[in-house]
Amino acid sequence: MTNNPFPLSRDDLLTAYRTMRTIRDFEERLHVEFAKGDIPGFVHLYAGEEACATGIMMHLTDIDRIASTHRGHGHCIAKGVDVHEMMGEIYGKATGCCRGKGGSMHIADLSKGMMGANGILGAGAPLICGAGLAAKFRGDGGVGLTFFGDGAANQGTVLESMNLAAIWNLPVIFVVENNGYAESTSVEYATAVDSYVDRAAGFGLPGVTVDGTDFFAVYEAAGEIIKRAREGGGPALLECKTVRFFGHFEGDAQTYKAKGENEHNRAHRDCLKLFGARVTAAGIVADADLALIDREVAALIDDAVETAKGAPLPGPRELTTDVYVSY
Amino acid sequence: MTSQTPPKVGIIANPISARDIRRVVASANSVQVADRANIVLRALAALAACGIEDVVMMPERGGIATHVLRGMERSNAQGEARFPRLTHLAMPVTGTADDTRRAARMMREAGDIAAIIVLGGDGTHRAVVAECGSVPIAGISTGTNNAFPEHREPTITGLATGLAAMGRVPAGLAFAANKKIEVRIDGGPPEIALVDVALVTDRYVGARALWRTETFRELYVAFADPEVIGMAAIAGLVEPVSRREPGGLALTLAPAATAAMTVCAPIAPGLVTPVGVEGWRRMPAGKLFSPDMAAGAVALDGERELFFDGHQQVAITLQDAAFRTVDVAAVMAYAAREKLLLRHATPALHPVPLLAGA
Ligand SMILES: Cc1ncc(C[n+]2csc(CCOP(=O)(O)OP(=O)(O)O)c2C)c(N)n1
Ligand SMILES: [Mg+2]
Repeated sequence: MTNNPFPLSRDDLLTAYRTMRTIRDFEERLHVEFAKGDIPGFVHLYAGEEACATGIMMHLTDIDRIASTHRGHGHCIAKGVDVHEMMGEIYGKATGCCRGKGGSMHIADLSKGMMGANGILGAGAPLICGAGLAAKFRGDGGVGLTFFGDGAANQGTVLESMNLAAIWNLPVIFVVENNGYAESTSVEYATAVDSYVDRAAGFGLPGVTVDGTDFFAVYEAAGEIIKRAREGGGPALLECKTVRFFGHFEGDAQTYKAKGENEHNRAHRDCLKLFGARVTAAGIVADADLALIDREVAALIDDAVETAKGAPLPGPRELTTDVYVSY
Repeated sequence: MTSQTPPKVGIIANPISARDIRRVVASANSVQVADRANIVLRALAALAACGIEDVVMMPERGGIATHVLRGMERSNAQGEARFPRLTHLAMPVTGTADDTRRAARMMREAGDIAAIIVLGGDGTHRAVVAECGSVPIAGISTGTNNAFPEHREPTITGLATGLAAMGRVPAGLAFAANKKIEVRIDGGPPEIALVDVALVTDRYVGARALWRTETFRELYVAFADPEVIGMAAIAGLVEPVSRREPGGLALTLAPAATAAMTVCAPIAPGLVTPVGVEGWRRMPAGKLFSPDMAAGAVALDGERELFFDGHQQVAITLQDAAFRTVDVAAVMAYAAREKLLLRHATPALHPVPLLAGA
């Protein structure tokens, strides 16, 4: 990679772009489809935050585990969960990765190290300590990452887990996706000291804040933090300052946002645009390479939606399967 | 400044410095927000002790203001007059470096701010200097590398700033002139560095800090002190250049494995590592330097900020006497010499009996 001025090979740059584009299209399409009324439950869209999941997950393999949030589609896609199975799950169909019984906030795929989206704020943090402990016992160099928002960062579970990870020196990384809002409450209102690095310091963990709309910033920082954890260096915190393009959930009127905020973010803080501009200007990737990926991803999402719509619902007999009790 | 308008002092405290990757790739500290607020309280108390009655602060929502106001309220409730009046600039808060720049600009435009106390790292100081014009600054280090602000107890920085702002020390002695380096890409608006400009092979900004020495290619420093940390340390260990002498130093760097020589340099806190050096020359003020490398990233005071591609022109120039700082050491020496902080006890009107009230 001597002539490549980026920290990733050309192929990996294209993979990163494909992942971010897949998440973006997945979410933009759900925004349209949800309004039609045939998707059960709530969906929380990750559009705008793609560089966080992608910049981090590029460093992981299937032995590494993640615990996600209510806004989990991006984490799933970046961790390698199948897009068709995800779409099936969101439509509540038998073809979904949890056979349609979970929906958007419970997508999980243990074969990919994806321990689950989670409807309970801060609930991923204790889970990932368990995964981190297991990895430490196995000694396989695996790491665990839990994602949580600026709002969930105030949950006791998150703080307790930081303490646990610190005393057991677990290979666990706490990722705060700070998009400025918890539902309609701004981070300035809800958080006494709005640097999450200070929180980490309270437990003796190093913390790093990066611009979460810059793929390379996330990629570099996550790479060093994950490497450190794999080598036994212990837990750390990564704060990604990011933006959410849509409302908290689909149907949110977003009256708490400043006028023009979404437009400004889409124009100036779009991680996909920033990434595309950088790699093409440096001459490593051509516009045509990105356009080809755009077309392939569009076709993939089309097909995932069509397939999910046409798939069967789980049958009544499925009610008593996949539970801890045998009937 | 007329004698009728009592001088004000500005404070710009960045709540978000010292949060970057150097906490993981090196052993950099992270100054907690509560500590930053305590530093502000110390500086405020020192300013009041010098007779400063009004202080204007940059607003922020990172938690500094809340803590400072709490401390002041408690003191006021106890009837102490330990602090000056504190107001915050009326400006929007974005939580980015734009706030620092805007606050520095407003403090310059206000016309009655005699000096600005800055809390932050090299990056914060750079942002202030970009906008503060001829208003002198007094730096307090709460960042990572901090080659620019001197390391000292903030109470003393507050005292020196207060004395200088009150005009109790001759201006020629109280304020020192500093160099800066300007970088222009394709003749655009200049970006500045207070300590060093480094060119590296990366073509992205990423996590900003510099720690992969194999990417280092060129280095331009305004001063090179063997006691500083960061990129300027490399220059400081090959040919020291003081803050006060004219001109700086330009170095050609290379990967340590292939370079003509290496210097073992403290490029980040706890990170002492060989850096390849091919050569160096003096950098006179006003002389235009153009990089040899065709494309890369420009790091200002140790943080990647800009990138340039093959078709772009990069111009680097050093400027002498570019901005002013409070010379804390000189002010405090003068204060001691001239007994500025000495008070003689006023003889009591009615002598107090030795065992009064016993
Ligand atoms: C324990 C718990 N409390 C409250 C909620 C309701 N709730 C769902 S999402 C949300 C806001 C989360 O904000 P943040 O953590 O910043 O994540 P973001 O939605 O911004 O990604 C709240 C309060 C919940 N799901 N779980
Ligand atoms: Mg949030």
